[in-house]
Amino acid sequence: MKRYFRELSVAAALVLLLLLLALFAPHFYELQPLLSRLTAQIPTLVLTLGIALVMLTRQIDISVGSQFGLCAVLAGLVSAGGHGLPVSLAAALGAGAFMGALNGCLVAWMRLPSIVVTLATMVTWAEVLRLFQQGKFVNLAPGVQWFGLSQLGGQLTLLGVGGALVALAAYLLKNTSGGRHVYAVGSDAEAARLSGINPSAVTFGVFVLMGTLAGLAAVLNLVQSPQVDPKCGTGLELKAIAAAVVGGVAVNGGRGSLWGALAGLLLLATINPALTFLHVEAYWEKAIQGLVILLAVIADGIRSRRNLN
Amino acid sequence: MRQPLLRLSQITKSFGAVRALKGVSFELHPGEVHALLGENGAGKSTLIKVITGAHQPDGGTLEIGGTTVSNLTPTRARKLGIACIYQQPALFPDLSVSENIGLRLEGGAFFAKVHWKQRRKNADALLARIGAALDPETPVRSLSMPEQQLVEIACALGSGAKTVIMDEPTASLTQVEQELLFGVVRDLRASGAGVVYISHRLEEIFALADRVTVLRDGQSISTRAVRSELGAMELTEEELISLMVGREVASIYPHRGGSPGETVLELENVCCAAGGIANISLAVRAGEILGLAGLVGAGRTELARVLFGITPADSGTIRLLGRNVQVRSPQQAVSLGIGYVPEDRRRHGVILPMPIAENMSMAVHPKLFPGKWLRFEAERALGLRFIEELGIKAYGPEAPGGSLSGGNQQKVSLARWLATEPRLLILDDPTQGVDVGAKSEIHRIIRDLAAKGLAVLMISSDLPEVLGMSDRIAVMRGGRLVETFEGSTATAQRVMSAALRPS
Amino acid sequence: MASLSPSLKKNVLRHESLLLLVLLLEFAFLCLYARNFGTPDNLSNVVRHSAEIGLLALAMMPVILTGGIDLSVGSLMGLCAVLFGVLTHDYHLATLPAAAVTLAAGLFAGGFNAFLITALRLPPLIVTLGTYSLFRGLAEAITQGTKTYRAFDPAFLSLGETRWFGVPLQAWILTAAAASFYLLVHRSTFGRSFRAIGFSPEGARYAGLSVQSRTALPYLLTGLVAALAALLFTARLRQARADAGTGYELCAITAVVLGGTSIFGGVGTLPGTLAGIAAIAVLTNGIGRVPAVFKAGIGGELASLLTGALLLVALAGPELARVLSTRSAKISPSPKTL
Repeated sequence: MKRYFRELSVAAALVLLLLLLALFAPHFYELQPLLSRLTAQIPTLVLTLGIALVMLTRQIDISVGSQFGLCAVLAGLVSAGGHGLPVSLAAALGAGAFMGALNGCLVAWMRLPSIVVTLATMVTWAEVLRLFQQGKFVNLAPGVQWFGLSQLGGQLTLLGVGGALVALAAYLLKNTSGGRHVYAVGSDAEAARLSGINPSAVTFGVFVLMGTLAGLAAVLNLVQSPQVDPKCGTGLELKAIAAAVVGGVAVNGGRGSLWGALAGLLLLATINPALTFLHVEAYWEKAIQGLVILLAVIADGIRSRRNLN
Repeated sequence: MRQPLLRLSQITKSFGAVRALKGVSFELHPGEVHALLGENGAGKSTLIKVITGAHQPDGGTLEIGGTTVSNLTPTRARKLGIACIYQQPALFPDLSVSENIGLRLEGGAFFAKVHWKQRRKNADALLARIGAALDPETPVRSLSMPEQQLVEIACALGSGAKTVIMDEPTASLTQVEQELLFGVVRDLRASGAGVVYISHRLEEIFALADRVTVLRDGQSISTRAVRSELGAMELTEEELISLMVGREVASIYPHRGGSPGETVLELENVCCAAGGIANISLAVRAGEILGLAGLVGAGRTELARVLFGITPADSGTIRLLGRNVQVRSPQQAVSLGIGYVPEDRRRHGVILPMPIAENMSMAVHPKLFPGKWLRFEAERALGLRFIEELGIKAYGPEAPGGSLSGGNQQKVSLARWLATEPRLLILDDPTQGVDVGAKSEIHRIIRDLAAKGLAVLMISSDLPEVLGMSDRIAVMRGGRLVETFEGSTATAQRVMSAALRPS
Repeated sequence: MASLSPSLKKNVLRHESLLLLVLLLEFAFLCLYARNFGTPDNLSNVVRHSAEIGLLALAMMPVILTGGIDLSVGSLMGLCAVLFGVLTHDYHLATLPAAAVTLAAGLFAGGFNAFLITALRLPPLIVTLGTYSLFRGLAEAITQGTKTYRAFDPAFLSLGETRWFGVPLQAWILTAAAASFYLLVHRSTFGRSFRAIGFSPEGARYAGLSVQSRTALPYLLTGLVAALAALLFTARLRQARADAGTGYELCAITAVVLGGTSIFGGVGTLPGTLAGIAAIAVLTNGIGRVPAVFKAGIGGELASLLTGALLLVALAGPELARVLSTRSAKISPSPKTL
C-alpha cells in the first residue's frame, strides 16, 4: 500500500475528476468523442512509456518530440511513395532507433549529460525536418488511416495496441532481469557496475528503445488522420515528461512505475476536456499543465523530506 | 603446498602520470585471513580494484585458482569466486534488501525471469546466517550505514565466494555488529575460503589475521605471519607500524598541556529529535580537549551537527562564553566562533576540485573579503601561511584539494576553521582513514591549539586516541551522555564498558 | 584567473582558446563569402538581434555554475512582454511605470523558481520545466492565444533603434550586463560561492556558506534579466505577443555550454560565455548571407541546425579527444603480459 502510495493517489485524483465530470458534464462520456480523445492520447502514452524508462535510469530525453516529428514525416513520405503500412512502420522504427542510438552513444558511452545532449539533438532534428519539409503537410495514401479499417475498428485496434504495450512493458520491467537492471542503474550506477551490470549498455539500450518507441508513436499518430503535420511532435516531450513526473517517476532515477505514468497521463489528458466542459477557456491548458507538474514535484519533495526525518 | 586462491606478482598500474602500483606481489591461501596494511595512498584500494576486475593492471600477472587471468571484469571476477565488501556500501538505495542481494548474486541474462519468492527466501536465509534482524522488503534507503554494511556482507556470503575481500569493514560498525562480522570472518576461514582483510585498526589485525602484507608507496614491502604454528605472536604493533611508515614512530601521543581556563561551551539538557539526541549537558573549557567517545550511532556526530547548526536543537540551553545562544545555521555557528571539522572529509570537509587556498578562505569570506570583493593576494597569503604552519604537503595554495593525500586534506579542513580564529573547535574523527605519520602530526597540531587556549571537542572512534589525547572524556550511548571521566582516571576498559553497558 | 588551479586553468583555457579560434575562423569565412556581412551596419545588426539571447545567456551562466538550470527564461520573456502590453494598453500605464512593474514581475517570477528550488529543495530541471509551461501558459491565457499589443509609446519603440556614439543601445546594455556579471562571477564572494555550490552543495554548507540564499540569487537574476530582455524584444519588434522568446532558453543554454561552462556546475568563465554568445550570433546572422543559402531561403533553419550541431561538437569534442588520446597511449607503451 505504502509502496504504491503515489500511484494510488494519482489514480484517486483521476477518479475524482471523472466523477466530477459525470456529475457536471455527462456529455463527456458519449462514446465516440470519448473514444477519439482516448486514441488521441495513445501516441503520447507510447512516448511516456519510453520517457519513464529513460527517467528510471536517471536520464532525460527532451528530443522525443523532434524524433516523433521526423519519424512521422518519414513514415508519411514512405507511405505517400506507394509503400504499405508495414514499410512505413519499419522506416519510422528504424529512424527512431537511429536517433535514439545517437543520443545513447553520447550519453552512455561518452558520459555527456543527457539534458544537454538531447537539447542539442532536439534542435538539430527539428531543424533538419524544417529544412527538409519547409512546413508542408504530407498526404497519406488511402488505406493508411485507421489501418484501412472502419474508424471504430481502427480506434479499438489503437486502444488494444496501447493497452497491450503498457501491460507488456510493465510486466517485463517488473519481472525480468533486464527490467530490474533499469532500476539498478538509475538507483546507483556504480553499485550496478560492481554487481556485474553494464550501466552504459543499459542506458544505451533505454535510449534506443526510447527512439524506437518514438517511431512507433509517430505511426500510431499517423493512422489517425489523412495527413501528416510536420509540427505534430512539438511540445510532446513536455507532455510525456509531465505525465511521468505526475505519475510518480522520480527525476533522480530508480523509483516509479509504468502504471503510475499511465495514471499521470490520463489525469493530465482529462484536465483539458474537463476545463472545456466546466466552461474554463482552453487557453489555460499549458498553464494548468505547468501547475500540475509543480504540484506533483512539490508533493514528492515534501514526502521525501518527511521520510528523511 | 596447496594451490593458492590468488597469486599476484609484480602488478603495476598507473593513472596518467601517477604510478599507483609499482610492483605488488601477494598470495592468498585457502583457509587464511590475510591482512593488507598500508598508509593511505599506499595502493590498497587500487589493488582491490585490480583483484575485483574494476581496474586492468598495466603489468604483472594475476593468477586465480592457479590459472593466469587477463582482462578480468567484475562479472568474471565474481564467477571466479571473488567477492568484495566495500568500505562504502555499494547498494541500490531505491531497491529492497532482497532485491539488492538478488541483483548482486543472480546477474541473470537480460530476459531471465525474476523469481521474487525465491529471492525473498534466499535473502531471509542469508540475513539469518549473519544474525542480522532486517526485513528483506525494506528499501535500503531507510537503513542505517551499519545495516547497509550487513547487507553487503550477506551478499558476499551468498555468492559462495572462495575469496572474500573486506575493505575496512568495521569503519562504520558498532561493537555488536563488529562481533557479528568477526564471527563471519572466522566461519569463512573454517570453511576453507580465503579472506583479504583491510583495516587501519591494528588490534583487529592481531585478533583476526594469519598473515599480514604491508604496502608502501605502491609496493609490497613485506609479508609476515602474525602467529607462529603454535599460536604465539610473532609480530608486534611497533614492528608493524615501522614497516608501514618505513621509520620508527617515536612517541605516539603528545603530552598534555597546562590547566584549563574559563568555560567556553556549556550545554544544558540539549535535545534534538531529528538527530536522536536528548538531555545532553556538558562543558568544555578553554585550553582543554574534551574527548567524546561512544559507538557509531551513539549520537556523537549528531551532537556536533546540533552545535554547528546543521540540525538545530529543539530544546535546552547552549551557552557560549557564559552567554545564552541559539545556533540555527552553520553561518551563525561560524559567527559565534564555532568551527567544525566534519567526519566525511571528502564530501563535507574539503571541496576537492577547488584550490586549497579557496577551501581555507571559505569560512572567512566576510573577514578576508570585506565588501564582498575577492582579494586574491590576501587569499594566497592565507593559503601559504597554513601550508607552512600545518606542514601541508602540496605544490602550492593553488593545488586542488583532491590532489592531496587524506591526511593533508584533513589539515586543509582544519586550516579552514583555524582561519576563523574560533573559540570552540569541534573535531569529528579527525584521524579516521589518515595514515600513521599524518595522524601523529594532526595530534600534535590539536594539542598545540589547546595549549594556545582553544576549547576542543574531539569525537573519536579510536579508543587509544581518545585516551591519549583527551583531558576529559565524555561517553555517549543511545543519544545520551552517560558518563564523564577525568583523563587520568579513564582506562580503555572503563570507557568501553560505559559505551557498551545496556541501559 | 589568478585564482584558478593550474590544471583547471589549462582545461579552461584550452576550451576557450579553441572556441575563440572557431569564432575567428567563422568570422573570417563569413567576411569572405557572405554578402554584406562585414559592414558596420550589419555588425551592429548582429548585436541588436542577439541582445536578448545574449542577456539571457549571461544570466544563465551563474545558474549553470551552481549546478542548476533555468528552462523557464524564454517563457518568462513571453509572459513579461504580454504583461507590459497589458499594463500599457488595458491599464493605460505610462511606459516607465509599466516597465518598472514588468521588471518587478520578472524578479518575482525568478523568486518563485528560487523559492521552489532552495526552500523546498526541488530539482531545478523539473521546477523550471514546470514554470516553463506555467509562464507561457499564463501568457497565452492572458492573450487568449492570439492577441498582439502594438500601440506603444514612440519613444519606447525608438529604443530598438537608438544609437549612442554610433553604437546601438543594445550593445551598451549588453556590455554593462557582461561587466556586471563578470564582476559578480569572477571578482566577488558570490561567484566563489556559486562555484563551491556547483562543485558540492553539501561541502559549501559545511563550510558555513549560506547555500540557500546564494543558490537563489542566480534565479532571481535570470528572472530580472528575462523581463529586461522582454522589454528590449518588444521595442525591437514593435509588438508584444505571448510567443515572445520561444526557444530562447535553448539558445542561452547553448551559448553558456559552448562557452565552456560545465553543465555539472563549478567550472566555467564569463568571457567563455561571451565567446559562445558571439559564435551563435555571428552564425545566425551570417549564414543566411552566404549566397547559396540565401538563394534557398533557409538561413534561419540552417543557423539553428548548425547551432545544435555546434553544441554537440562542443560537448563531445573534448570527450572524444580524451578517449582517443588514452587509446593511443594504451597502444604505445611497454609490452604487457595481459
